[in-house]
Amino acid sequence: MAIDTLKITHAIMEGSKIRDEKGIIPLFGVYLSLYFTSYYNIVSFDFLSGMGKRRAEEAEKLLIGAAQECGYTTFHGIRRSWEWEELVQPMLETVDDQIEGFLAVATAFGWGGEMEVIDLIPGHRLRFRVHESYESAGYLKRREIAEAGKCYMLRGVAAAFMDLLYGDDYPDGCFTFSAAEPFCRAKGDTFCEFIAEKSST
Amino acid sequence: MFIDWQDKLKRIGNRVALFDIPIAMHCHHYNINLHKMLEDILGREGVRLMYNAAEESNHTAFKIMLEEYQRIRSDKSKLEFAASIYQHCGLGVINFQDVGPSGGRIISPSSHHVTGWLAKHGLRKTPGCHFTRGWIAGVLEAIYDLPIGYFEVTEMNCKMMRNPVCEFDVRLKRGQHGD
Repeated sequence: MAIDTLKITHAIMEGSKIRDEKGIIPLFGVYLSLYFTSYYNIVSFDFLSGMGKRRAEEAEKLLIGAAQECGYTTFHGIRRSWEWEELVQPMLETVDDQIEGFLAVATAFGWGGEMEVIDLIPGHRLRFRVHESYESAGYLKRREIAEAGKCYMLRGVAAAFMDLLYGDDYPDGCFTFSAAEPFCRAKGDTFCEFIAEKSST
Repeated sequence: MFIDWQDKLKRIGNRVALFDIPIAMHCHHYNINLHKMLEDILGREGVRLMYNAAEESNHTAFKIMLEEYQRIRSDKSKLEFAASIYQHCGLGVINFQDVGPSGGRIISPSSHHVTGWLAKHGLRKTPGCHFTRGWIAGVLEAIYDLPIGYFEVTEMNCKMMRNPVCEFDVRLKRGQHGD
């Protein structure tokens, strides 16, 4: 059975409208918030500026690492949730199908518009494209054309997907993989592309 | 106040928007990871960055939203609208009972960031609602038609420190108003 992205999107849109009496949205085993993408872009790109050129590489690693640890924990919670069990699990035929399920959730979260898997070599490599990453859009809005990819959150999440599927059992598998972004709209490409492979260290 | 949430929170193509302003859904893991990273790496500068980011993004967004909802005219209605948005966005509950254009006090009995921080890291020794402080500053500046940076919001009590509620003090920023 193919992954029904629309069904997952609809469930998340409906679920995100339910909050408890404390104004908290508990969904897919996590507490969800809805907030303007401009906030996340200001935080990321001003953090990079705040770290200065000398610490730029460290800053990028921190942003990616924060997202990877989050993606690992969040999507672990998501796939253990009753919503995943009832809605997504019946659509999954192979382990690899989970990637499609994860991307459907990421699309529904508003992270990047249409997302498509280009290729997946189980246990080794994942390559997928994102057509409207909010990070690249935000970078272009606030800065000039970039020299390198700027979608740090999605880079971390790409690696986290592979960590969850092919790393050691939770919670020991995080950072087994790392991801690169060879194409990014922030540097003038027509889409953002992520490649997650086993970390070299 | 009635907000047609079905109409205002929607997908435009594959993007998610609130009042046509792009939003993203993020969970407490990511929000709190960013929070901790900023504090750990940049210290006070990181705290300020988080505050300023929330202030700027909220100020811009509420200007647009209030422009669209022009039938919300009184300051009281605008504050109710802001509290409603806070709750609908899953950010928590906020009570604007004692605030005006020259400042005041605001109470939040629950929030996404408090719940998220406590779930991931437990109690703190210092107030931790930097996001909410910036959020409050931005929304009040939009409501009273003031520029960004007009207010300074300080957190007097914080549930991350085991206080019963988060309590915020809003004042005019020193040095910007002839003081």
